[in-house]
Amino acid sequence: MSNDSKTDLPTTQGSSSEGSTVPIWIFALLLLILFFGGVYFDRNSGWFDAQVYAPYKTGEQLEAYQPVSGAAAMMLTGQKVYGSICAACHGDNGQGKPGQAPPLAGSEVVNDANFKRVASVPQLGLNGQVQVAGQSWNLQMAPMGAALSDSDFAAVLTYIRASWGNKASDVSASDVKAFRATIAGKPAVNGEEGLKAIK
Amino acid sequence: MCDHGSHRAAGNRRGEIVKTGCSIFIAAFIALGLSWCGLVLGPAAQLGTLGQTNILNSSEIYPIQRTGDATVGLQVYRAYGCAACHTTQVGQDGMICDVVLSGTNPPAVSALLSSLTLTNLTKEQADAVSAQISAKGGKTETHIFATGADISRGWGMRHSVAEDFLWDNPVQLGGVRVGPDLSNVGMRYDAAWEFKHLYEPKSAVNNSAMPSFKFLFEKDGTPTEDAKNLVAYLLSLRADVPLHDAPFSTLAPVAGTKK
Repeated sequence: MSNDSKTDLPTTQGSSSEGSTVPIWIFALLLLILFFGGVYFDRNSGWFDAQVYAPYKTGEQLEAYQPVSGAAAMMLTGQKVYGSICAACHGDNGQGKPGQAPPLAGSEVVNDANFKRVASVPQLGLNGQVQVAGQSWNLQMAPMGAALSDSDFAAVLTYIRASWGNKASDVSASDVKAFRATIAGKPAVNGEEGLKAIK
Repeated sequence: MCDHGSHRAAGNRRGEIVKTGCSIFIAAFIALGLSWCGLVLGPAAQLGTLGQTNILNSSEIYPIQRTGDATVGLQVYRAYGCAACHTTQVGQDGMICDVVLSGTNPPAVSALLSSLTLTNLTKEQADAVSAQISAKGGKTETHIFATGADISRGWGMRHSVAEDFLWDNPVQLGGVRVGPDLSNVGMRYDAAWEFKHLYEPKSAVNNSAMPSFKFLFEKDGTPTEDAKNLVAYLLSLRADVPLHDAPFSTLAPVAGTKK
């Protein structure tokens, strides 16, 4: 900017004019301070993550404060799925409804060590005579769970197998995925024999 | 910045003008461009693709789109300037954890309990306590609750997040709290209360500073469409579910816990 006036001046004064300009290192220092200010600000705002809100400072802290995870979360998901799909017929507490659906609490199929037997019912549907909790049931069930995701399906199986006094093993999403691949396209389970045939 | 050569060649005032004009343009472009990046491009990149999310530990999604009358109600809310006195944003100051015993616990745990604090803990303390109890064979659950002035006033269970406003156009955040925050007003009252309160606020809330909205009702007290839509919108304001970016336990806090 000062080039114009500089050319009009004697060259001997050039150096003094240059000496009065702001030294370059001040700019460098300001940029450095600005940079560190930005980094500090960023770091205390969760790196501007859209998911991190005050009072959470980082994504890791947010993860740590997720209420439940793992098995407990699976049971909660299972409970939600059960409530929205199964509970209408099988009852809020798995007690079943006479003439409509057998109980799940204390059911031999639900408590079977092989989860595939109970999983096949909501996956394929069920016809014919079955024996549940010392009573014979001859009803039909549509494949209510066929549209569920693997993880939701696993969660609801885990839930019914560990609630209301049932004490069977957990079911994982990968178990369900493998099981679904083996029985894809099969017709509805036919009665007690059909259930026993699932291995 | 500008072409020095042309200036030298011209050697007159024309070059001066070209030089200043060019500098002003570039300076203004940089200044406006940077603020555009910071105020428009950045937020759009972060939240422009925001969609519905899963409710924590559930297969349900949030937020569900409002019903038609509630969507119209938002425009009524906007038209009468409700946001001038009401906010729809809840703040949160911190979070506390309670350790809760689940299931039956061996006697060793009961003996341990008297020496432990189980409520008002940080996550680290809660994890330490849980580890101590599970070492003795006990089972625990950690419940997490949001704390803060707004939350203790009963205005919500957690801080507001971007998802809460997904279906709002325009978002009616509000900045002044002459009246209470309305983020969760749909959880607190029913339609009958809302109509009564709109008709004559002082009949529902003592010393209410809110003006009466009698003009939203017919002479015989029947609510107009505007009033019905507004109430439908107010009842749709429920930011009551835990999300990944706003976690809390949906269970009731342990008795004696400061919330």
